[in-house]
Amino acid sequence: MAFFEIRELTVSYRRNGVTFEPFNSISFELSEGQIADLIGTSGSGKSSLLCACACLLPNTSGSLLLKEVSSNSLSPEEWRKRVCYVPQKPTVIPGTVRDNLLLPWSFRVRRNDTPPSDTELRLLMDEASLGEVNLDRDAAQLSGGELARVALLRAFATKPNVLLLDEVDAALDDASARAVSNLTRRLVRNDTACLRIRHRPPDGAADRMFKLEHGTITQLNCTDKGV
Amino acid sequence: MNAGVIDIGYLELFGATAFMLVAAIVAWALRLKQTKAIVVATTRCFLQLLAMGLLLVYLFKYQSWWLVCLVLVGMSLAATQIALGRVKGKGLNIWPEVFGSIFLSSMIVAFTVVEAIVHASPWYDARVLVPISGMVLGSTLSATAVAVDRLFSDMDTRADEIAAYLALGATPKEAALPSIRKAIGSGLTPALATMSAAGIVQIPGMMSGQVLAGADPMIAAKYQIVVLLMISAATTLSIVAICFSTYRKRFTSNGCFLSPALR
Repeated sequence: MAFFEIRELTVSYRRNGVTFEPFNSISFELSEGQIADLIGTSGSGKSSLLCACACLLPNTSGSLLLKEVSSNSLSPEEWRKRVCYVPQKPTVIPGTVRDNLLLPWSFRVRRNDTPPSDTELRLLMDEASLGEVNLDRDAAQLSGGELARVALLRAFATKPNVLLLDEVDAALDDASARAVSNLTRRLVRNDTACLRIRHRPPDGAADRMFKLEHGTITQLNCTDKGV
Repeated sequence: MNAGVIDIGYLELFGATAFMLVAAIVAWALRLKQTKAIVVATTRCFLQLLAMGLLLVYLFKYQSWWLVCLVLVGMSLAATQIALGRVKGKGLNIWPEVFGSIFLSSMIVAFTVVEAIVHASPWYDARVLVPISGMVLGSTLSATAVAVDRLFSDMDTRADEIAAYLALGATPKEAALPSIRKAIGSGLTPALATMSAAGIVQIPGMMSGQVLAGADPMIAAKYQIVVLLMISAATTLSIVAICFSTYRKRFTSNGCFLSPALR
């Protein structure tokens, strides 16, 4: 049984008045505990693929299955609670670091879930090399790299089944990118999988690698592993 | 009361168009390309107000409940068109929502004032209902246009943030809520500013009119207070209704945000 399965996924949308079909009828799957890297040239549709997996794009056909549960059988919010997309550009709301980390628990879809305690949040912050940042600090005072990590930790803290990371380490220095990579590896274990777009040199965290090119997806030999 | 009214002769009335020469000279000197707009606005001002005057004369003389209601619906339709004209270019099909918000909020407040505070008799007394509804409609259309414009501009500006909210499990309403709050705040600002300035900076239109018509200034002041309060209530109702009934226009049925790049 595939953990996360994408079947015959096609996306088309109008961008600036022009109809755009980045890929047509692509299929692949991820196993539990697996991290897969998605590569491809700029404009090949990598971000569109990740957004489509999170049901964030209109005019999508095909099927998405998580543990054999179809995205069509859940509300978009319930699906995105399980399949979480993290964009490259971090979104920070006005307020403290804690307010930002707990943002997902202000939404109705998590009204019955217990938000993480300060201790759990600090643990996560430590793992992302943000141990020196106080939870009460105004998020507007954080540096670009710190903001990116806070936005990433916010998604990690929700413990989704599938993490879709869209070049989240692009704006980070090498040390921070390494910390994010290690954190991703630690988080993606049982009941989790991760598909990420990276433009950095291989970090040894990926188990598989896909290439999206000319609208089709191919699996590459993962030379990344163990680097 | 009418004895105190000083009528304006038609010669003096048309002579007053000379005031528009000031705007015309400025437009010409600064090459604002507004000459046509100035002529059109002046002509419309004359025709519309004189037509309204004639209509009211007829209405006061032969008033019936259905005729008064028809006039109110007509005024609401005109208010809808003007409000939509101010939010052109956003690719929105929101005519029913704008009409519903403006019409319902204005009529609820206007009828409440006319029946519960002024105690008009009969209930459809055109001499009370039409001017009060007109004042409320005029303010709600401006506030509604401001709120709609701000709502959709802010949602476009926050496109990345809205996408991030949705990705974290927010519903479209939760993702749009910060923009809705800003839009409602923007729509309320003019009404609150007018209330704050009333009596200090300016004598508002209705009070000025009544004083010029020879009414007791204290009665005119009381009417004006009621009018400002009802305008505030009607604009609040209208902008809340329009924001909550239209924000979904930027989302698909399955909760995807239609950012500027995807439209």
